[in-house]
Amino acid sequence: MKALPRCLLLVAWLLLGAGGPARAQDQPLVAALSQAQVEVTTGFSGAGLMVFGSTDQPIGPGGDEIIVLARGPTRPIVIRRKVAVAGVLWVNGPAARFAAVPGYYVITGTRPAWQLLPEPERQKNGLGLDALPLESTGARAPAFRRALLEQETASGLWVEDQTPVVIEGNRLFHVRLPLPATVPTGVYKVEVLLVRSRRIVARQPLTFRVDRVGTADRIASIADDQPLVYGMICVLGACLAGWLGSVLFRRG
Amino acid sequence: MPVRVSFMQVYLPIAEMSVDAFLLIGIGFGVGWLSGLFGVGGGFLLTPLLLLIGIPAPVAVASGANQTIGASVSGLIAQGRRGNVDYRMGLVLFSGGLVGSVLGVQLFALLRRLGQVDLAVSFFYVVVLGTVGGLMVMESVRAMRRRGRPGHRRKLHEHGWTHGLPFKIRFRKSRLYMSVIPPMLIGGAIGLLSAVMGVGGGFMLVPAMIYLLGMHTAVVIGTSLFQVVLVTAMVTLLSAIQLGTVDILLTLLLLLGGVAGAQFGAAMGGKLRGEETRALLGLLVLLVALGLLWGLVRPPTSLFSAQREY
Repeated sequence: MKALPRCLLLVAWLLLGAGGPARAQDQPLVAALSQAQVEVTTGFSGAGLMVFGSTDQPIGPGGDEIIVLARGPTRPIVIRRKVAVAGVLWVNGPAARFAAVPGYYVITGTRPAWQLLPEPERQKNGLGLDALPLESTGARAPAFRRALLEQETASGLWVEDQTPVVIEGNRLFHVRLPLPATVPTGVYKVEVLLVRSRRIVARQPLTFRVDRVGTADRIASIADDQPLVYGMICVLGACLAGWLGSVLFRRG
Repeated sequence: MPVRVSFMQVYLPIAEMSVDAFLLIGIGFGVGWLSGLFGVGGGFLLTPLLLLIGIPAPVAVASGANQTIGASVSGLIAQGRRGNVDYRMGLVLFSGGLVGSVLGVQLFALLRRLGQVDLAVSFFYVVVLGTVGGLMVMESVRAMRRRGRPGHRRKLHEHGWTHGLPFKIRFRKSRLYMSVIPPMLIGGAIGLLSAVMGVGGGFMLVPAMIYLLGMHTAVVIGTSLFQVVLVTAMVTLLSAIQLGTVDILLTLLLLLGGVAGAQFGAAMGGKLRGEETRALLGLLVLLVALGLLWGLVRPPTSLFSAQREY
């Protein structure tokens, strides 16, 4: 596992070398992802993706700082609050509907974003879970937003400053984005920001995809596109399994 | 770095989560063992267990119904071979069940929009299992007390209000000549429950056939299996079309364990007395009902819950 970042760093050096010093000056920030696609198979149990790159000036305390922000496809989520009916029975009561909740949100940096940027700048760029714009309809109490944050953080899909961006040799940086088994499929946007003297001076957008492949993908797409056929396959499959069981039993 | 053992993790494409395959096979085996032992489908145990390991309620209910097909088919084949299935009665029950399951799936979709699925599923379970379990325990205790004493024999079947109803048909195997309305109503009620609870309803159907319809007991199990297979097939189809919540991988993993478990359970069930089996099953049913009731009245650890909209 330790060999992977080293190998990537080598790739990064080569990329930079090939670009030459002049090119590196044109572009203060160069970053890339270890892979453009993450495949979700029936055996998928989570994965990791490496973000790595380099800058034209020394990185680290007193110098350049890096912020990495990754966001997944959005989906609607309803948060409900339980209320006690007649003091004993707990029933779902008021609800807030968040129309576009990112299914994945990871922010990390050489240091936490709130230490690197002035507060208005950080809020404007949505850097940090508290700066995430989340429009909602229905119940308005802030507790609903807090509950959503807790829920997503607990599921490992929203991560804030868990592992800092690693600096190697003042020039290279890399960080691993954790992708738990429950990651939604779709297009992911990664933004690498270069912070110099408390200002964002360069940003590089990157994308990768999370796709179901093989059997998992075939099952999900048949279920989506041809629900009647899929339902019939499910019924016949179960019948067949039951029949096989009775055949084996008669032998035994 | 902690090493994740990934070879037994399996990604469920519809539930969109990965679960330990051996855990699912184990649950299937356990439920299959109990259902073989007691001669019921075991859906009433399976759905709550799936909810417990974090499968979303809509997927648990629909896939539970799907696995019940498989669990009941092997029993149905065995009963059919012995000529213990009253197909005519089964079809009449099913014609009611058809309406019931269509209504049930609509009801489920409505409950989901209202955000009350979990409550409704638990509530149905508590009421239905509480009632059935309580009746079974009482009945079998009474039977155990009666044993040994020279008892009064129960009449073959009683002539009650149902005999005044129209549309009478002869059900030869059930040894009945009766109106189709009562079996259709019973079938409808069970179809509705089976769509909301993800169960086949065998544990409700068997007593209903004996006590409400007065069917000949030899054909009760086979006919109820026939009806259960038809209704759960219907529920599976409707859930796949309307809700998109049937996870075939989940179903097949559960069946893998379930089919094997059922054989061991059936072998053991032969050694128990009828009343004892019924008393044990009744206790088990009551236990599940109490567990779910506790879940409803216990102050929740978190007041908030999140639901993804499909």
